[in-house]
Amino acid sequence: MADSQVNLAEPAPDADQVASTSVIADGHIHQAIVARAVSMAYQSGNERFEVLKGIDLEIKQGDIHLLMGPSGSGKTTLLSILAGILTPVTGTVHLLGAEITSMSREQLAQFRLEHIGFIFQESNLFPALTALENVEVTLKIEGVHGHSNRRQRALELLDQVKMANKANHLPRHLSGGQKQLVAIARALAGNPELIMADEPTAALDSHSGHTVVELLRTLAKEAGKTVLMVTHDPRIVDLADRIAYLEDGLLRSSS
Amino acid sequence: MASIARKNLFEDIPRFLVAQAGIMFAVSLVTIQTGILNGFTRSTALLIDQSSADLWVGSEDMLQLEVTLPMPLQNLVTARQVKGVARAEALMIRTGLWRSSSGSIEPVRIYGFDPKGQLLAANWKFISGDLAKLDAPYTVLIDRASRNTLDLQDVGNTGKIGSLPANLVGIVADTQSIASSAYIFTSLENANAYGTAGLTSSLNCRLTGDDIKCLNSFATLPDNQPTNIPPPKALSFTDPITYILVKAKPGQDLQDLKQRLAKQLSGTRVYTQAEIADKTRTYWKSRTGVGFILGLGSVVGIIVGMVVVSQILYSSVADHIKEFGTLKAMGASDWVIAGIITEQALWMAILGYLPSMALCVGLGFWTMSAKGIMILITPATAIGILGVTIIMCVGSAMFAIQKVTRVDPAIVFKA
Repeated sequence: MADSQVNLAEPAPDADQVASTSVIADGHIHQAIVARAVSMAYQSGNERFEVLKGIDLEIKQGDIHLLMGPSGSGKTTLLSILAGILTPVTGTVHLLGAEITSMSREQLAQFRLEHIGFIFQESNLFPALTALENVEVTLKIEGVHGHSNRRQRALELLDQVKMANKANHLPRHLSGGQKQLVAIARALAGNPELIMADEPTAALDSHSGHTVVELLRTLAKEAGKTVLMVTHDPRIVDLADRIAYLEDGLLRSSS
Repeated sequence: MASIARKNLFEDIPRFLVAQAGIMFAVSLVTIQTGILNGFTRSTALLIDQSSADLWVGSEDMLQLEVTLPMPLQNLVTARQVKGVARAEALMIRTGLWRSSSGSIEPVRIYGFDPKGQLLAANWKFISGDLAKLDAPYTVLIDRASRNTLDLQDVGNTGKIGSLPANLVGIVADTQSIASSAYIFTSLENANAYGTAGLTSSLNCRLTGDDIKCLNSFATLPDNQPTNIPPPKALSFTDPITYILVKAKPGQDLQDLKQRLAKQLSGTRVYTQAEIADKTRTYWKSRTGVGFILGLGSVVGIIVGMVVVSQILYSSVADHIKEFGTLKAMGASDWVIAGIITEQALWMAILGYLPSMALCVGLGFWTMSAKGIMILITPATAIGILGVTIIMCVGSAMFAIQKVTRVDPAIVFKA
């Protein structure tokens, strides 16, 4: 983030009140993601840019939720805030019932590690490591002990994304779609409840893009994972449970 | 599990080799400078280390083994009578000018001692010849490191000191100081003769008022001296010697004996073997600036190494900033990321250190055998330099660690 954030110093909504919307009476989490009055602004010199203007958003557990909108509308910024990577200048975000906007940097990192899997437009795999090793590294960071345990688990994850036969391939020997499947296996390493994806099909051909989206849908519907995806890709629209449209930092519609 | 650090290191082999060359240069520079300093300082007191004497009696003004003032031979007789002395032997140090058989000249340091004695040469390692022949007039021993300097390759070769002949009867090892002129070992009588060889003196005195003013004039003798040279004259009690080497009787307290000797021998100071060796080494290290100069070379080596390692690690991190950013976005702590880069620096240190040390040890053997210059790499030196290498590499990693820990994980959302 090149520009400094503006502290608008508006009082945040009552956290307890917001949290209650994400937890039903029996204690089970109903809403995976709840954002209330989320605003974000950047300062560049004397100019202030308001990127998000009081966003309210709720996403149910197990849904595939798309964030769409024109370039510069604030989609990626909203995704970064909902993932606990950026902190909004105002507003609150609850993930799985926990308010992440009041967490410290270390607590946020730990929360992401335990609950969120990330998929990016580029796979960002370490080029010197094989597909298997890239997944193993994440497992080690997740705290999985024992080399053989990690190797076994990494193979299972690669098998889950139909990439076990490419386990010993370096990223440069994989196609764009295959690299993205390995990245999904890596994202699943910590068995996260939430998957945050930033245009995961943007760099893929039609077939690869379809494979990736199908896999994400399977994860949502069969494994109960909540998928929040920023995309411009119209091919994905039919697979989504809900779609939110952002424009000029405002949530224009949700369907 | 796969080590990101190790794999990143070998990902780009040319870059890895450049980095290792830089580290090897740095480590070699530090090792050689330190080794030369060690070898230099050790060599300056090799004669003392190899002696069997418990105590060395020298001038109270002594600065180091070879910079001191003489005392009369009479002191040797006095020392032998001191209670607790089992044995006392004289050591005479003179300077001279060596002329080889080919006509070249070379300054030499002449050490005169009793060939039948037990305190100076008993532990010497002979390459050829033996000590017994040193009793004959105008016979000498040299150290093997001085063979080329003096143009003496084997026993039987000859040269001259001043106008007097010098016949080589033996070659020894590990006695020569790097800091000094070539050593010539000979008997006390020979050394005394060599010390004034090539010089004549005439003492002219005249009465001026109540004072007598004397002028002792020395003149160089021509080289074409008669071939029939008389043997060196026996020493008198007034002839100057440089040290008295003392062996204490068994069970004798050395501190007590030191005090008794100093009391009996005015104008002297008594040192244990360790004390005089340390005084000599400290002189060469500190007062000559040799330690500073070689230390400066080591510091330059470390700086070069740090610059190279910093650049390589920094560019490696910059190349993988998105991958590290991804790890951070996923929740990896700064410690995890710093650990990866530190491990990479450690690998660089180890892989740079091992071949460098092997190279320096090999170089040390070569310089010792070919030039007589000792590059002394002791186990302590090797361990110390490993520590310096690790600190150098890990310290250099700090810039790269700072870069990656400051990275905003949000960069991974910007394709």
